[in-house]
Amino acid sequence: MGNPDILLDVKDLKVHFPIEKGILLKKNAGWIRAVDGVSFSVRKGESLGLVGESGCGKSTTAMAVAQLEAATAGKVFFEGRDLSLLSSEELRRARMNFQIVFQDPYSSLNPRMRAGDLIAEPLRIYAGKKIISISENDIQKKTASLMDRCGLSPSFADRYPHEFSGGQRQRIGIARALSLGPKLILADEPVSALDVSIQSQILNLLKDLQQELDLTFLFIAHDLAVVEYFCSRIAVMYLGQIVETADSQTLYQQPMHPYTRALLSAVPLPDPKSARTRKRIILKGDVPSPSAVRSGCPFMERCPDVMERCRVEAPVLSDLNEKHQVACFLYDSPSKQI
Amino acid sequence: MSKEIILHIEGLRTEFQTERGVVQAVNDVSFDLHQGETLGIVGESGCGKSVTNFSILKLVQYPPGRITDGQVLYNEKNLLECSDEEIRTIRGKHIAMIFQDPLTSLNPVIKVWVQIAEALRLHQGMSKKEAKAKAIELLKLIGIPDAEQRADNYPHQFSGGMRQRVMIAMALSCNPDVLIADEPTTALDVTIQAQILEIIKNLSHGRKTSVIMITHDLGVVAEMCDAVCVMYAGRIVERASVDELFYDPKHPYSIGLLNSIPRINQDSDERLHSISGAPPDLIDLPHGCPFRPRCTQAMDICAQKSPPEFSIGGNELRTVACWLHEKEHSHG
Repeated sequence: MGNPDILLDVKDLKVHFPIEKGILLKKNAGWIRAVDGVSFSVRKGESLGLVGESGCGKSTTAMAVAQLEAATAGKVFFEGRDLSLLSSEELRRARMNFQIVFQDPYSSLNPRMRAGDLIAEPLRIYAGKKIISISENDIQKKTASLMDRCGLSPSFADRYPHEFSGGQRQRIGIARALSLGPKLILADEPVSALDVSIQSQILNLLKDLQQELDLTFLFIAHDLAVVEYFCSRIAVMYLGQIVETADSQTLYQQPMHPYTRALLSAVPLPDPKSARTRKRIILKGDVPSPSAVRSGCPFMERCPDVMERCRVEAPVLSDLNEKHQVACFLYDSPSKQI
Repeated sequence: MSKEIILHIEGLRTEFQTERGVVQAVNDVSFDLHQGETLGIVGESGCGKSVTNFSILKLVQYPPGRITDGQVLYNEKNLLECSDEEIRTIRGKHIAMIFQDPLTSLNPVIKVWVQIAEALRLHQGMSKKEAKAKAIELLKLIGIPDAEQRADNYPHQFSGGMRQRVMIAMALSCNPDVLIADEPTTALDVTIQAQILEIIKNLSHGRKTSVIMITHDLGVVAEMCDAVCVMYAGRIVERASVDELFYDPKHPYSIGLLNSIPRINQDSDERLHSISGAPPDLIDLPHGCPFRPRCTQAMDICAQKSPPEFSIGGNELRTVACWLHEKEHSHG
C-alpha cells in the first residue's frame, strides 16, 4: 500500500449478521446489515471520529477493524497489511499496535482481578507467548508508571475494580490499552458512561496521551460535542453507511448531508439564548431496521429533501472537495457545490 | 414572579439503610414549583435528583428507603402524610411522572392502549370503550403513526422513542397539574430526543402543565427550563433562572460543571476545564461543605460549617449555598 502516512485503511467493509429462525433446524431468515460498505482511512497522529445514533454500525465497524468481528466483505489494512490474511499468530503480534478502550468500565474489567494485574495482563500474556521479553520486575515497574501516567496512584494496584469510581475504572481501561505501546487506539464510546465532570477529566487525559505518545485514534461516540472537541476529522454514519466526512470544523460549520444537519440541530445546546432562537430540524420517525431489504438512499424515509431519484438509487460517498465527502444526490453535480 | 405556587417542598430528607451505613440521598431540600413553569433539577449521578422526585410522590421503597423529614404541599395538603389510598388518587391524576427507561416501566405483557387507558378508567371512571377511544386519540396527539392499529401492539413492538411517547401519553392522559419527567430522553438518540422534548414542550405549554425536569444534561436544561436547581450530594447548591445559571453561575460546582462540557465550535486545542476528584460518598459526607474536597476556592470556614443557602440580591429564587457569597447576601 502506497501512502506511508496512512495507518489504517478500511475498504468497503461489510458486516452482516444472520437472523436465524427455528430452534432445531435453524434457517436463515435474512440479514442484519450492521455495516454495509464502509470505507475510510486514518492518518498517523490524527483522530477520526465515527458518529451516529445507536444501531448505525459504528461500534461494529470498530470491532471489525480490530478483527474481533468477522467481516462479511471488505478489507482492513493496518500499516499497509491486510489483517484478514494474517495467521492468528501474526494477528496477535499485529494487535500490539492497535488496542481498544471500551465504553463501559463496569463490565469490561474482570471484577476478580486487581487493578495492577488488569493493567499488567497484556504484558504478561505477550511475555508468556515470548512475543516480547520483559521481566516480571519490569512489568511491575511499567504497570506503576502506566497507573501514574493515567492519573491513578500506583498504591491502588491491589484494589479490585468495584473499589474504584467510574472515572477511575476508565483510567484502568486506558492504562491497560496502553500497556503494549499501541500506535492506534480504538476508543468505543470511552466517556459516554461517565458524568460530565468526570468526562472532561478523561477527555483531557486522552488528549494529553495522544500528544505525548503520538497516538492515533479511531474515536466512536454518539455525543457530537465530544467528538467535535476530540477529533480532527469526523465520519457520520447512518444505517451502516458513512454519509458524510469532513474535518471537524467544516462539518460543524457547513454540514451538507441532510442527516448531519438534522443531527447537529438536534443536539441540545447548553446556551439558553441561542437555544431559544435557533431553528431546529426535527426528523420524523425512527431509523429503519437494518434487516429490511431496501433500495435507494438509507436516509430517504426521514429526509426533508428527499427526491424521486433517492428512492431508486443509492448515493455514493463522493468528493465535494478534497476534505469533504458526502453521499447525497443534492450535491451530485460538481457545479452545484454550495 | 408572583405566579402561584403549585407544589411546595420543604426540608425534604430521604435516606437509605445499607449494609455499610445510612445513605443521605436527599438532605434538606426545599423548592417551589410555580404554575406553568418548567423547573430543571440538574446534577450528576447520585446527587439525589431522582430520589427527591420519587419522594414527592412517596415512591421511595421502604425498606431500605425512608423519608425522614420535610413536607410536600400540594393544594395545601402534605403529600407525605397522605395514606396510600389518598396518594393514589393524586398520582397519575394530579401529579404524573415520566420515567427514564420506557422499556422497563411499561408492562411487557399488556397492550399499549390498555396501559394508557388504565389511568383514565381508574381516575375518570371511563368505560372500556371510551378509554380506548381516548387512548387512541392520545397516541395520535403524540405522533404515533397508524394509532388505531398500533394501539393493539405490545411495548416490545415499539421503538424506544415510541415507547417514551407512550409514557408521555399515559402521564398526560388525565391532564395533570404537575408532570415530573425523570431523565425522559437519556436513553434516546439525539434526533429522537429532539422529537420527545418538542412534544413535552408543546403539550406542557398548551395545557399550562407545570413540569419538573430531572436531567444531567445541561443542554436539555437550556432548551427546556425556565428555572433550575443544581443539586450536589443531596443538596441544592444553587437555584436560578435558566439565564442566570448559564450566564452568571455563582456556585463553584455550577461553574465547574458548565465549563467542563465540551461545546460545539469550541477550540479543540483548549483543554477542557475539569472538576478534580469525584463526588463524595453519601454515607460518609465530609464535614462542612460537601463540595469542599473538590473546590478550588475552599476556605477555612468551608471545612467547619456547611453553608446555608444565601439569597443573592434579596431574591428568594436566586440562591447559592456557598460561603463565598455570604457577603452578597447580607448586602442584599
